Amino acid sequence: MEFLKIKMKILSRIGLHGTSLFLLFPPLVFLAIFFYIPFIIAFLYSIGIIGRDRVINIAPTLSYFIEALNPLYLKVVANSLYIAAITTISCLIIAYPVAYYIALKASYKLRNLLMIAVILPYWISFLLRTYALMTILSSLNMLFTYHAVVIGMIYDYLPFMILPLYVNLEKLDRSLLEASYTLGASPTKTFLKVTLPLSLQGIIAGCILVFVPATGEFIVPYMLGGVSVTTIGTLTWDLFLKFHNWWRGAALSIIYIFIILAMLIVYVKKIGGIEI
Amino acid sequence: MSLTDNLMKIHTIAILLFLYAPIAIVVLSSFNEYGGLSSFKFTTRWYESLLQNSTVWKAFSNSLLVAILCALISVILGFISAYGLVRANTAFKSSIESIFYIPIIIPEITEALSLLLFYNLLSFPLGFISVLIGHTAFSISFVFVVSKARLAGFDRSLEEASMTLGANRLQTFIKITLPLSAPGIIASMLLSFTLSWDDFIKTVFTTGPGFQTIPLVIWSQSARGGVSPELNALTSLMLVISITLSYLYVKMIKR
Repeated sequence: MEFLKIKMKILSRIGLHGTSLFLLFPPLVFLAIFFYIPFIIAFLYSIGIIGRDRVINIAPTLSYFIEALNPLYLKVVANSLYIAAITTISCLIIAYPVAYYIALKASYKLRNLLMIAVILPYWISFLLRTYALMTILSSLNMLFTYHAVVIGMIYDYLPFMILPLYVNLEKLDRSLLEASYTLGASPTKTFLKVTLPLSLQGIIAGCILVFVPATGEFIVPYMLGGVSVTTIGTLTWDLFLKFHNWWRGAALSIIYIFIILAMLIVYVKKIGGIEI
Repeated sequence: MSLTDNLMKIHTIAILLFLYAPIAIVVLSSFNEYGGLSSFKFTTRWYESLLQNSTVWKAFSNSLLVAILCALISVILGFISAYGLVRANTAFKSSIESIFYIPIIIPEITEALSLLLFYNLLSFPLGFISVLIGHTAFSISFVFVVSKARLAGFDRSLEEASMTLGANRLQTFIKITLPLSAPGIIASMLLSFTLSWDDFIKTVFTTGPGFQTIPLVIWSQSARGGVSPELNALTSLMLVISITLSYLYVKMIKR
């Protein structure tokens, strides 16, 4: 009994009291086994510790990383980042006026209706939406081109940009805009000096929500680009499910994860926290 | 209304048309005798042939079973972790939170291939269970975020009142905490059901021979540019399900 009391005391001093620790245990174990350990195993594959026929090699090798860093693959990585960047910028330019209009200009009744229209695509999977776009692009004879992929990416990711921008602009204190007008600023100047800086958090959130998944996008380039566009997503797919070169595929994905994590860390360090 | 306001209005309408036109066309062509877009004659034959397609029915029941179990398991694990974390006042709070946030941020394809390697190493049989585990590992985090938001806005004095009046921790949890969090719990169940129901990438990497879900059926028929009227019908049915779920979700989250 006394022992238990002391234990509880220590635990409460750390801050985690018994019940909470107990409650957190099963989900953390589940995530550790089925989410985090698989990543460690992917890493072990990439350095050759787990070899063919699941033979364990003692000596790690960098050969798969060297294979994955060949110029052809680097071009694919650069191409994916480029497509993701174009998608992000296009989505931002297209989405901002939409979010601005819904949040600040539309009447209350219209706003709720438009809001539902913006949220709905979130609930429809990329596969269905890309298939829908495919039916149009194929009748326009645009299927399997680079442009089809870019249009598809913008189409699929646009809601991911509109929503955070809307949420942000909707919270904007309108009296600040009125103050700016009263003090003689033009609408353009008010937008550039008040609205835009205040919506920066929404812009950044939207850009991350679009850019990060867009770099690894598989469905859009595969369905709309065919063989004409290769991205990290389609290359990973081919390496794993077509050529069964798991070791090189694992090395490629480890490099890719590091690129993504590096970007996120720079972001967190510079801006501080993801606020959506 | 100024000129810029009008331009923004036109732009918004145009973008919404861009978002919804392809979906509308799929639904319309699913009722078209000739399939495509050129000429139109109303028919329900594509839906009838869909109902007789045994592959689709098998995939439908697979999808449904995986999604229901995924929703149940991830809601239990996700909710108790959110509850545990909100109630704990620990120095590690933000580190534990990031353990739950990382699965949302990491691109899905890297998670899918890691799971494949994991299963292969353990010679884990690929099929129903492997797919279910993959879906659940991903859903827990989403349930965690939704439940945490719900519990953060929770009036704790009600729990304290219950304890003061002599109820123990468990009674308070069952009689006070759980009913008050019910809308959040149902909302996150709907969310994880949809995530699982729609999932393609993780399913395709972790499935084995003979186990297909509806997204895999749509994929295998459309991957090479094959647009067919029956596929339009299947996609339209999936749209109806997704839209219904989202409607229920919004209703729950607003309560």
